[in-house]
Amino acid sequence: MTEASKERLSGKATVREIFDVATEFERVAHRFYSELIPNVSKNIRWLVEELAEEELEHVELFSNLGKNPEVESVMAAEIARPVADSKFSDCVHTPDLGANPDDQAVLQYALMRESAAMDQYTELAESAPEGPLKEAFVFLANEETKHKAELEKIYYEIVHSGGV
Amino acid sequence: MGLREVLTPFTVWKRVFDEPVTIKDPIGRPGADRYRGFHQNDMDKCIGCGTCETICQNAAIDMVPIEGVEPEKGDSGLRPQIDYGRCCWCALCVDVCMTGSLTMSNEYTWVDTDPDKFRFIPGIDGDWKDDVAGYEREGQRVLSGVERIHMEEMEPEARICNFDEIVAGYTREEAVLEADRCVECGLCVATCPAHMSIPDYIAAVRDQDYDRGLQLLYETNPFSEVCGRVCTHKCESSCAALHEGDPIAIRWLKRHIIDEVPFDRRIELIGQPVEPNGRKVAIIGAGPAGLTAAFDLARAGTSVVVYEALEHAGGMMRYGIPEYRLPYDALDRDIGVIQAMGVEIKTSCRVGRDVMMEDLQRENDAVVLAIGLHMGRSTRVPGTDGPGVEKAVDLLRRITDGEEVPVPEQLVVIGGGNVAMDIARSMARLQKAKYGEVGITLTALEDIDHFLADPEEVVESREEGVEIFDARGPQEVMRDASGAVTGLRTWRVKSIFDAEGRFAPAYDESDERVHAGTMVIEAIGQAADTSLLGEALTEALEWNRGRIRIDDAFRTSEPWLFAAGDAVKGPDVITAVADGHRVARTVMEEFSARQVMQ
Amino acid sequence: MFSFKPDRSQYPAAGEDGKLEIDLETGKYLKLWQGPNHPGITGNMSVELTVCGDEVVKGTTHVGYLHRGFEKLMERRTFIQVFPIVCRVCVPEPDFNEYCYAAAVEDLAGIEVPEYADWMRTLILEMGRFNSYMMFLGGIGGALGLGITGQWMTYLRDIMLDRFEELTGARIYHMFILPGGVRGHLPEGFEGRMEEVLDTAERYLADIDRVMFSNSVFKTRTQGVGYIDPALFEPYGVTGPNARAGGVAKDLRKDSPYLVYDQLDFDVVTHTDSDIWARSNVRRQDVQVSIDLIRQILRKMPKTGPAMAKIPNVLHWKIPRGETYIRGECSRGEYGYYLVSDGSGYPRRINVRGPSYTHAMALLEHMIPGTNISDVAALMVSLHTYPPEIER
Repeated sequence: MTEASKERLSGKATVREIFDVATEFERVAHRFYSELIPNVSKNIRWLVEELAEEELEHVELFSNLGKNPEVESVMAAEIARPVADSKFSDCVHTPDLGANPDDQAVLQYALMRESAAMDQYTELAESAPEGPLKEAFVFLANEETKHKAELEKIYYEIVHSGGV
Repeated sequence: MGLREVLTPFTVWKRVFDEPVTIKDPIGRPGADRYRGFHQNDMDKCIGCGTCETICQNAAIDMVPIEGVEPEKGDSGLRPQIDYGRCCWCALCVDVCMTGSLTMSNEYTWVDTDPDKFRFIPGIDGDWKDDVAGYEREGQRVLSGVERIHMEEMEPEARICNFDEIVAGYTREEAVLEADRCVECGLCVATCPAHMSIPDYIAAVRDQDYDRGLQLLYETNPFSEVCGRVCTHKCESSCAALHEGDPIAIRWLKRHIIDEVPFDRRIELIGQPVEPNGRKVAIIGAGPAGLTAAFDLARAGTSVVVYEALEHAGGMMRYGIPEYRLPYDALDRDIGVIQAMGVEIKTSCRVGRDVMMEDLQRENDAVVLAIGLHMGRSTRVPGTDGPGVEKAVDLLRRITDGEEVPVPEQLVVIGGGNVAMDIARSMARLQKAKYGEVGITLTALEDIDHFLADPEEVVESREEGVEIFDARGPQEVMRDASGAVTGLRTWRVKSIFDAEGRFAPAYDESDERVHAGTMVIEAIGQAADTSLLGEALTEALEWNRGRIRIDDAFRTSEPWLFAAGDAVKGPDVITAVADGHRVARTVMEEFSARQVMQ
Repeated sequence: MFSFKPDRSQYPAAGEDGKLEIDLETGKYLKLWQGPNHPGITGNMSVELTVCGDEVVKGTTHVGYLHRGFEKLMERRTFIQVFPIVCRVCVPEPDFNEYCYAAAVEDLAGIEVPEYADWMRTLILEMGRFNSYMMFLGGIGGALGLGITGQWMTYLRDIMLDRFEELTGARIYHMFILPGGVRGHLPEGFEGRMEEVLDTAERYLADIDRVMFSNSVFKTRTQGVGYIDPALFEPYGVTGPNARAGGVAKDLRKDSPYLVYDQLDFDVVTHTDSDIWARSNVRRQDVQVSIDLIRQILRKMPKTGPAMAKIPNVLHWKIPRGETYIRGECSRGEYGYYLVSDGSGYPRRINVRGPSYTHAMALLEHMIPGTNISDVAALMVSLHTYPPEIER
C-alpha cells in the first residue's frame, strides 16, 4: 500500500494535497476543453468554448490563491478528506470522447464533472479553516452549482427539444 | 256638494306633524348593492379584448394603452377608458365582459370642474376602485356562448384497429353555431405565428361564405388543410372565450372552411401567379417552411425548385404526423395547390448526395434551407446501444413509407411530447392488428400536468390503451444474457425544474421500477442533420448555440443562403409556415435590393 | 255654486269649408301659447290656444320639442345595442319599452323566455305602472292647484324607485328586461321592503281620497269637464284608462293576456262619466289594482330558476326576416312595438306606438274648444300625456 493510499483510508489530508488536486482538476479540464475545440464541428463549438472559458477562470483563481501568504500558512494543516474525493480525483483523468464528439457527449461529460466538483467543493467549504481558502471553496461550490444548473438547462433544451 | 266635501280635505292637516320624508343630506347616500355606478376594472384580470368597446352603443369606451401593462399572449395590453360624457350606464359592457374583470361600483357622485376628468380609466382612477358594492353580472356571461360545440370523434374501440382519421369535422350547422361564439377581439391573430385573420374567416363561416373564407386562409397560410387538423392552435390558448368557458374551436373552423371548398375551386379562387421575374430559387426541404416559401416565391413569379430527400413531399407533416391525425390526401391537396402555382418538387433527391450544395449555389439566385429536425435524440442511458432500441422519428418515417416495422407485444416509449404520443398510438394500432391487444408503456420525465404533448393527445392515448407513467427518469435499458431488451429501469422524478424553472432533475432512487418490454422507443427530442452543408460551409457559416445563426429576416451569414423552419426556429407547423412567409419576403427584398445595385 | 254654460253665440262661425273664421285684427281673439315651457303642460309640448276672453275657441297641439330620433337611431344599432335606448323613449314608465322590444325580438328570433323572467317582467311592469300613476295623481292635483298631492306622490314614487334601484340597479332607466329574459333575481328580503312601500302607499292614498276625491273644488272642476264621447274612442284610437272611464271595459291584461297576467287575479276598473273626474277615479282605483297585483306576484312567483334564456352571441345577433307587433297595457293605454327585421344584425324599422300620440295630439285638439283657459292643463293631464312617447 502506498503512502497516498494509506492517507486516503485514514480520511485525513493536508490542505496542500487537496489544493493541488483541485488546481490540477481545473487545469486538466481547461486543457481538455481547449484541445477539444478544433475537434468538434463548428455548430457545437460554442459549447466547448464556453466550458473552456469557465475552467480558465477557476485555474486563475487557484493560481492567485497559491500566491496568497495566508493560504500558504495553512497548507500543512490537515482537514477531513471529502467523501466525494475519489470521484473528484478521477476527473483529473480525461476521457476519450472520440475523434468528433457531438454536443450530447460533451454535455454528458461536462455534467458529470460539474457534479463531482460541486460535491467536492461543497464539502471542502464546510471543513476548510476560516480564511481566504474557505472563502474560495465557498465561492467555487456556488460556482459549480450554478454551472451544473446551467448545463442541465442546456442539456434539456438541446436533447429534449424538437420533441413536441 | 255638501259641507263634508269642504271640510274633509282639511283632515290631512294632521300630516303637519309628520317627520319630513325628504333625505336631509342626499350627498353620500349610498347606492343600492346592485347600483350601476362608476366603473371598476380588475386590471390583472382584464385582457384588453375590447368586447366592452364593441358593444357600447354610445361609443363611450376606448381601448387605450396603459403604462405598466405590456401586451402579451392573450392580452392586448389595452384597457378600457370610459367617457362619462357618453356613457348611459346600461352595463352591457359589464355583462359582455369576457373575463368578468369589468364591474361597477355603487358610487354615483363625482364633481369636477375639468370636463376631461370624466374620461377616465377604471381600475386606475377613481376612489371607488376597490368598493365591493355595485353592479356585477349575475352568474356566468350569457351574451356570448360559453360552451364549445361538440366535435364528433371516433370512439376508441373503433379507431384503435385502423389509421382512419379520428375527427369527423363540423357540419355546417355546427360550424355556424361555433363561429357564433367568437367575439372578434383578435387576440388570436396576435398569438398565431402566421397571424392568420382568424376573426374574419370565422365571420365567413357565420356568413356561410366559404369562398371568402378560403381566400382569407390562403392570404396567410397555404397549409390550412394541414393546420386545420394538426395545428398546435396556440390561438385557442389566448382566446378571450376561454376565461369563463371553452375557447373557440378555431382549428376546427379553419378545417371546416377548407373541407367545404373543392380542390379545383381552391386553385380558381387563389388565382394564377404573376408574370415570371426571371429569378431562380432552390429550396432544400419540402416541409411546411420550405413549401410555404416556395408558394410565396412562385406566386411572385420566381422559378422555384424544392429538393426533398425523402420519397414524398411534406416533411414532418407526412413523416412525423400519423395518418389518423392527418390523412395523406389532405396533405396532398395542400401540396397540390402549391405545385399548381408552378413549384417543382424533386423528391428522393438528397442534397449532398444527389445534388451538391455548390451547384445549387451556383445555379440559383438564392438557396433556402428548410431541413427540419429529422434526427432523433437518444437518452444514451446504459443499454441504449444495440438492437431493440429505436428512435420515434425513424419508426414513424418507416410506418409512413409502408415498411415493415418490428411490432413486439409489449414495448416502452420514453418521452412526453406529441412525438411520443404519435409513436405510441401508431404502435398501438399495429399491435392491435397483430395481437388483438395493446401493450405499451409510456414513461416521461415530466409529471402529467407538465407534459409537452397536447392534453387531448394524452387523453386519447390512454383511451387507446397506452399506459402512462409520468415523472419517471430512465436509468437503463435492461437486457438479458443474449442482449435482447427486457425492459426499462426508471427512477421517480422528485422534481424536474429548480425554483428558477431550470431543468434540474432530482430522482428518488428508492422508487425504482422496471417497465417490461422487448423494445424501447426513444421519443425525447430531435436534431437537425446539417451534414449536407459540408465541412467548408459549416465552417464558413456563423452559428448560434448549435443552430445556424439567422437574423430577424432569416438571412444566414452567407448572402446567398437563407434558413427557416424547425432547424433554425421551431417548434411546429404553423411557426414553420410563418417562417416560410418571412424568408420568402426576405428573398424577394434581397432580389429588389440587388436589382437596385445593378 | 257656479255653473258654467258657455255662450256659443260669441264663438266665431265656421266657414263653408268648416274652418273657423278668426280674425285676430278685430281684437276679439287672442293667441295664447301654453308650453313648451309652462307649468300647465306635461313635458315638452305646447298647445296654441285661440281665446276669446278666458274661453278657448280653438286649440292646436304642437310637438317637436323633444324629438330625439330614437326610431332612426335604433336602425343604426345592433339588436343588443337597441336595448339601452328603448327605455329612454318614455321617461316616467320606461319598462314597457324594454318589455315590448324584448318580446318583439324574442318573437322573431323564436326564443322561449324562462318562467322566472316572465314573472319578473310582470312585477317590473306593475311597479312601473304604480310609478306612472303617482305621476298622474300628483299632476292632476297640480294642474288644479292642489300642490300637496304632487309632493306626496313624488315621495311614494321615490320609495318605489328605491325598490327599483335595489332590484335593477337604477332608479329611472332600469334596463333590466333584456331580450331573452331579465338581468337578475330578486334581492334577499325584497318582498318585505316592497310590502313597506305598498303599506305606506295605501296610507297616503287614503289621504289622497280625502284631500282630492272628497274635495268640492276638485269635484267642481272635474265633473262634467273634458267629456269624451265614447263614440270617439274608436276613430281616435283611445285606449286604456281614458276609454275605461267612458265605460269601455278594455284592458289588454285581461283581453289578450301576456306574460303571466292569466295567472293573476284582478278586475278591470271602469267608470261611466268619461270626464276628468271619471278618468282620475279610474286611475286612482287602478293604483290599488297594481298594488294588489304586486303583492300577488311576489307571493306567486317562483323563488328560483334561470333568469335568461340561451341566446346567440349578441355581438353578431341576426334576427330572422319578419315583422311583429307586440303590445301591452301600460298606464296610459295600449303600448306597442312594431319591429321589422330584414334578417340582418340591425332592425330595419322599429315603430313605437305610444298612447299619448293619439290622446294628446289629436283628441286634445278636439276637446279643447269650449273650455276655459284654466282647464286646459287639467284636460291634458287627464289624458295622461307623456310627450316623449309621442316623439320617438
